[in-house]
Amino acid sequence: MTSPLRTGLSRRTLLSLSGLGAGAFALAACGGPTVGGDSSNDKAKEVDFEGVKPAKKIDFWSTHPGGAKEIETKLIKDFTDKTGIEVNLVTGGQNYEEIAQRFQTAQAANSGLPAVVVLSDVWWFRYFMNGNIIPLDNLLKQLDFQLDDYRETLVEDYQYDGKQWAMPYGRSTPLFYYNRDHFKAAGLEDRAPKTWDEFAEWSKKLTEADTPFMYPDLAGYAGWTLQNVLWGRGAEYSHEWDLKLTEQKSVEAFQWVQDSVHKEKWGQVASSDSADSFAGGVCSATIASTGSLVGILEAAKFDVGVGFLPAGPVDGPVCPTGGAGLGIPAAIKPEEQLAAAEFIKFMGEPENTAQFSAATGYMPNRKSSDMSAIIKETPQIETAIKQLEHTRKQDYARVYLPGADQEIAKAVASILNDKADVKQSLEGLQKNLQGIYDKDVKPKIEKQK
Amino acid sequence: MSVSDQAAPASPPAARGAAEGTPARRRRFSARSRRDFWVFLAFAAPNLILIALFTYRPLLTNLNYSLLDWTLGSTTAQFIGLQNYIEFFTSEGGRRTMLITLIFTVATVGGSMVLGLLFAVAMNRRLPGRTVARTAIFAPYVLSGVGVGLVWLFIFDPNFGALAWVLRQVALTSPQWVNDPNWALVMVIIVYVWKNLGYCAIVYLGGLQSLPTEVLQAAELDGAGPVRRFWSIALPLLSPTTFFLLITTILNSLQAFDIIRIMTPAGRGTNVMIFEVYLQAFGGYSRAGYSAAIAVILFVFLLLITVIQIRYVEKKVHYA
Amino acid sequence: MSTATASHSPSSAAGNRAPQGPVGGRSPQRYRHRNTGPFSKQNLVGTLVGGYLPLIMATLVVALPLLWMVISSFKSPHELVTQDLVVWPEDPSLANYRTAMNTVPIPRFFLNSVIVTVIGSVIKIVLAIFTAYALVFVRFPFKRVIFVLILVALMVPPQVAILPNYVLIAQLGGVNTYWGIIVPGLGTAFGTFLLRQQFLSIPPSILEAATLDGAGHWKSLWRVVVPISVPSIATVALVTIVTEWNDYIWPLIIVTDSHMMTLPVGLTALANSEGNTGSGWGILMAGAVLIIIPILVVFAMLQRYIVSGLTQGSVTG
Repeated sequence: MTSPLRTGLSRRTLLSLSGLGAGAFALAACGGPTVGGDSSNDKAKEVDFEGVKPAKKIDFWSTHPGGAKEIETKLIKDFTDKTGIEVNLVTGGQNYEEIAQRFQTAQAANSGLPAVVVLSDVWWFRYFMNGNIIPLDNLLKQLDFQLDDYRETLVEDYQYDGKQWAMPYGRSTPLFYYNRDHFKAAGLEDRAPKTWDEFAEWSKKLTEADTPFMYPDLAGYAGWTLQNVLWGRGAEYSHEWDLKLTEQKSVEAFQWVQDSVHKEKWGQVASSDSADSFAGGVCSATIASTGSLVGILEAAKFDVGVGFLPAGPVDGPVCPTGGAGLGIPAAIKPEEQLAAAEFIKFMGEPENTAQFSAATGYMPNRKSSDMSAIIKETPQIETAIKQLEHTRKQDYARVYLPGADQEIAKAVASILNDKADVKQSLEGLQKNLQGIYDKDVKPKIEKQK
Repeated sequence: MSVSDQAAPASPPAARGAAEGTPARRRRFSARSRRDFWVFLAFAAPNLILIALFTYRPLLTNLNYSLLDWTLGSTTAQFIGLQNYIEFFTSEGGRRTMLITLIFTVATVGGSMVLGLLFAVAMNRRLPGRTVARTAIFAPYVLSGVGVGLVWLFIFDPNFGALAWVLRQVALTSPQWVNDPNWALVMVIIVYVWKNLGYCAIVYLGGLQSLPTEVLQAAELDGAGPVRRFWSIALPLLSPTTFFLLITTILNSLQAFDIIRIMTPAGRGTNVMIFEVYLQAFGGYSRAGYSAAIAVILFVFLLLITVIQIRYVEKKVHYA
Repeated sequence: MSTATASHSPSSAAGNRAPQGPVGGRSPQRYRHRNTGPFSKQNLVGTLVGGYLPLIMATLVVALPLLWMVISSFKSPHELVTQDLVVWPEDPSLANYRTAMNTVPIPRFFLNSVIVTVIGSVIKIVLAIFTAYALVFVRFPFKRVIFVLILVALMVPPQVAILPNYVLIAQLGGVNTYWGIIVPGLGTAFGTFLLRQQFLSIPPSILEAATLDGAGHWKSLWRVVVPISVPSIATVALVTIVTEWNDYIWPLIIVTDSHMMTLPVGLTALANSEGNTGSGWGILMAGAVLIIIPILVVFAMLQRYIVSGLTQGSVTG
């Protein structure tokens, strides 16, 4: 008796299968990239919107940052009432990776693209490189965006090559959170430490929790928030496109972080959102996004204090901005692009960005936004807003190199979790990032010029 | 009568008899073969066309992409021949991915089959209430990987998780389940086995219940104890079931995705091949060509494993 | 090949009598004294330790995490993120569910999921039955090649199909439609494979009898083959329903209109893209409950068939 499976896979059958493989290329052409084409095709053309009428209905892809679905729905309704343009709110994904996956899929299919899409700090640049999004300058002028009322550091993040590629939306910065009860019990002042050295000193008295300090988790936040330590010590991931990871100052900065965990042992690394560990009383202090403020206040059973990120021995701003922005795809009709710009402008109006901020805990984009009612309800948010004036644009290496954030997180993980040699890890990281730059970025930005 | 004929349960069909094509039937059906031609097309063509369109066509497209240096989202790409394949087999990242895939597959397949067999033995008694246990143990198999991943992530949390609390009660510290790449792999293996062992248990139970009573009784009369009866008689008789499970669980393990992605989104230490396919294309690197190459390699692995298993294991099945 | 005890089909396989406790059986006497129940005096301890302990352990291992999920969904934030395990919420509240319901149109997601799952599963099962029947009982050249191609399709990782299928479906106008969600998954390799193996075990004599009675393929399929293959078809049904219900990435990609979203996709709107501090975990657990419970109910209804389909001989047990 033979089993059906056995006779099923005879040699002849396998041969006929391999024959099938040979026909692969004939069938596979549609929908993919043009092979061997000149990649300068990727450059997005600037569009003149003179005389264009805005579309009546557009799609808006969002990740609903900070649980923003409700407030987005409300603002969209206001927008439709005002302009008559309908906006279809689409859940583009659960996080920035999912919305990026979806955007790139639609891009490859050249179909189903939205008019407005949420772009995170580490994703927009590759859309720019691929010509997937348009520069907004003409639109900003035509629709009179009042750029001088926007907070400069938030707007600057989306500038490259002298053009504006997106506008801020759901922007956040890291914030220093501390447990006031623990600080009191330790006899410390009721404020965030001014410098990391000061906190290292304080940490000796902070014995209430499992650990005085919790570093943010590696997957989401390490690359972002550690810029704070680097900058405070005069180091950086990169200066524009020059990688600086193997310089002495960078090695020292990372060595300092490693020592705080393994030698002096006043810090640990969170395995999930460090805001959770903080709210649950596992640590006395942590660094987390301003976007976590509302959630922390809700979950914590103690008095929550917030402050600026601690500085280092070197002067200058030590807080990076972060979060998302709104961009407009290149491969859609000018009518849709114009309507999209109107929508972006509306979402950025002082009172609307204030409402958004109140609902989510993200930063208001406009200087003239009236935040007094919100500050009255949640006084801690004032600190976060004030810190905005002391922020610095993120290093190119983290936000502009595709996959750099992942590579940085991997290197930091081996330094902090596996106690790997700092210099060696950073050398490896620098090599990987340089490889990404040489291969995926340099040829493209040179052709763009 | 061959034993395998008896022992294989309905759905674990590997060793079922091939009734097809016996001379008698062939003769009787031959007169109608022209009509059969059209009947076959009417019955099978819709499904076959769908499979061709939505499984084979993408596979071929993918084969094409795998030869390109293509950044996802870009409208242009360069033909680079087998470079992506060479990179996967020679780079440290590629080798690590293969090692992780091997560990994950061996551990999950071994774990769910051994535990599944143990539970099947435990359930193979006429005890009131065993239906409840049987239903319960199979239940995780039907649940959403996303939901299951979330629930377990909360349980494994080193600070607030129920597991950490239990460990603290016996004066242990919870491992860093997510931060430590080795523990992360252990974690997803545990959850994966939890979700899938019920499937093995149920299939084994079916195998056990269709074992020929006479053989076991004869052995018992010869004085063989329960352990010996299990090892020397039941287990060999179960080899067709084991064979079926081996194929299906290996195929499933190599395609395990949801749980791993939800529990360890960064994929540090848990980037098995299928997850690496996703990470390379969509997880930040946007390397669509390289991702496609890994997908093709994975497909070839799956194909090879199946062919080898069929060629090798079947001899044993036959022998039994 | 067949003997008196060889089963004609799983459902008639009760004749293929299962031994009462052959492998794990502790008491050899049980073979001789079949009527000695598991609760006889000398057996009671053995039954409890050897029989019930593993069963209870197995049940707990499965049930506890799910129970934990349900309990957690009623907790307030500070009961979730705390190191002192709170087993029972002090003030169980539906707040997490309310937030979930207010944030996204859950009834609509639910309806979409049901529509997609029901239509998709029914078509898939029918296609699988037809294809498997054709492969086994209808004469056709290159049947083996076709079968192997179906088998190989099982090995194509689903992730590779996303981009090419999106391109195709989008060109056909399938974005935001039920058919756009359903169609790419309709071709069924697994169901065909499983049912083919089951059909092969049907003795040709039964079919021949039907043919002599003048029944064509249509009749033999529905009157003979399908009725005696119910457990296997139920197994295919369960696996198909489960796959359709839990599918995530494809519906995420192909649907942009929130009125067309299925439950697993729609619930992602609940998760905060910058962490889930505070009520986040509770809302996520509530979301997990909403995805998991319906499929558990379906499973509980079908499990009698499934388990018997998989375990064959135990239909009457």
